[in-house]
Amino acid sequence: MQDRRLKYVLILPAALLVLGTTIWPLAVSLVTSFRDWRLTRSLTPGPFIGPEHYVTALTDDPDFANALQVTASFVAIDVALTVVCALGLALLLRRAGVLHSMTRAVLILPFAVSPALVGISFRFMFNAEMGVFTWLAGTLVPWLQGYVWLGDPVAALLVLVFSDAWRWIPYMTLVVLGGLSALPKEPEEAARIDGASEWQVLRDVTLPALMPVLAVVAILKTVFALKMFDQVVTLTGGGPGQSTVTLAYLVYSIAFRWYDMGYASAVAWILTAMLVFLAVWYMKLILRKPGGA
Amino acid sequence: MSGTRAAAARRRKLVLKALESAILLLALFLILFPIVWMALTAFKRPVDLFDLTVLFTPTLDNFRTIFAAPWNIGAAVWNSTVVAGLTVLISIPCSTMAAYAFSRFEMRFKGALFFTILATQFIPAVVVVLPFYLLFRDLGLLDTHLALVIVNLAIVTPFAVWMLKGFLDAVPTESEEAALVDGATRMRVILDIVVPMVWPGVLVTAVFCFILTWNEFLFALILTRDDAVTLPVGITRFRTERGDLWELIAAAGILISIPMFLLSSVIQRHFVRGMTGGAVK
Repeated sequence: MQDRRLKYVLILPAALLVLGTTIWPLAVSLVTSFRDWRLTRSLTPGPFIGPEHYVTALTDDPDFANALQVTASFVAIDVALTVVCALGLALLLRRAGVLHSMTRAVLILPFAVSPALVGISFRFMFNAEMGVFTWLAGTLVPWLQGYVWLGDPVAALLVLVFSDAWRWIPYMTLVVLGGLSALPKEPEEAARIDGASEWQVLRDVTLPALMPVLAVVAILKTVFALKMFDQVVTLTGGGPGQSTVTLAYLVYSIAFRWYDMGYASAVAWILTAMLVFLAVWYMKLILRKPGGA
Repeated sequence: MSGTRAAAARRRKLVLKALESAILLLALFLILFPIVWMALTAFKRPVDLFDLTVLFTPTLDNFRTIFAAPWNIGAAVWNSTVVAGLTVLISIPCSTMAAYAFSRFEMRFKGALFFTILATQFIPAVVVVLPFYLLFRDLGLLDTHLALVIVNLAIVTPFAVWMLKGFLDAVPTESEEAALVDGATRMRVILDIVVPMVWPGVLVTAVFCFILTWNEFLFALILTRDDAVTLPVGITRFRTERGDLWELIAAAGILISIPMFLLSSVIQRHFVRGMTGGAVK
């Protein structure tokens, strides 16, 4: 077979997989988002109602407004924490040392733990009566003794961030370490010979060169924080009240508790639109690099 | 004067060194503690749960309990293994072929096609699962391995294509070209020359995709009920009306995590590549 045709034959199976498992459901969700379809009333799709669901979500649904706000807070804290900690830890771990190599060796572990299990473990450790973190916080700060972490809206969101950051910071540290080791050594050494302090070297030489990697870390983390679902189910259940209901969890609630497929699809698509926007930005960033793909 | 300044500099260096060690110790503690605590809890009797001491009489009862009725965690282990295994077995060959085409050939719409496949990994799983839930309900496929394999392919395939293209780009093309000049067909070249050379990369990708599927929660939560429940959903079953059975959750958690710790350590060096493609190194 000629290469001319073979190359399309080679791509076909993977293209069909993506078409069937992602593009098709995306299209169906989009169509459904313009229909009135509640499974409690009818097993078949109802009539088209135009952009009504989108209008409702964006102007007249306190649950959606709440989920948007929760998601925005979660993403902002989570991404900032991850980028700062991963960068700091990677800069420390770049050096040699026993503690350094020990830490480097365990960085991969949290990412291998199922997010659902991470959520449930943190629920256990922040349990009000016997949680080890509850006890630890109470011992270090007497004011926090017996504090019901998952009973307070702000604290519950912070615990949710903590559980997600626990899984992601070590992984992103590995990413930043990879970026650091790919940087040329000469500029840093030249700056040191010129008498720059360590702080100046970091600020004026290392960080600017590391910017593309940090951008990758920030965008990727934003994407995964926006999609966050597993730990909401297993750690907080969206509570207390609705204080930890993220957009992904809201879609799940609308679809599988209230069985409103039309409205769930519309909210899902609002989330998808944000992610596609980020995806395009991200891909431009990395595909532009020579040999980057 | 200069002596005191040197002493001050030395002291400053010492303080910084101590600070660095303190931060690293804290990082080590934060990373390891939740895992260690889960491991300890797995060997505790329920009465010891409330005790924060590490000195307790360890027991294997929890592991016996989760494998016995009514929990039968063995079924979930089997389901997870079958679903993750089948997903990888279907996805990796397809992705390898596509990655090879993307790596070696020029073609129309190549950029757009590659871009589309990669961009799908950003789509939230919850938007993908709605139509599949309705479809599987109509086809009677809810709570089956097949349903889970199909939706997991959506997550795994873009990652696999991306990772494999990176590995294939790094394989030199001279011997391929020489064989082609000698009259070998392209398929022969792929099977006899390319696949053996890129085999380590294929294994790394397969392991990465296996871990992704093994840990997947959202699809399994929505699409399974009894027969096809996987481990991540299985552990949520220990949260009963009688309360949360933490010691059993921990035992099952260890069961889920140990194989993934081993697998991820094996491919550690390449693990970063999975999520970031070639974006970083």
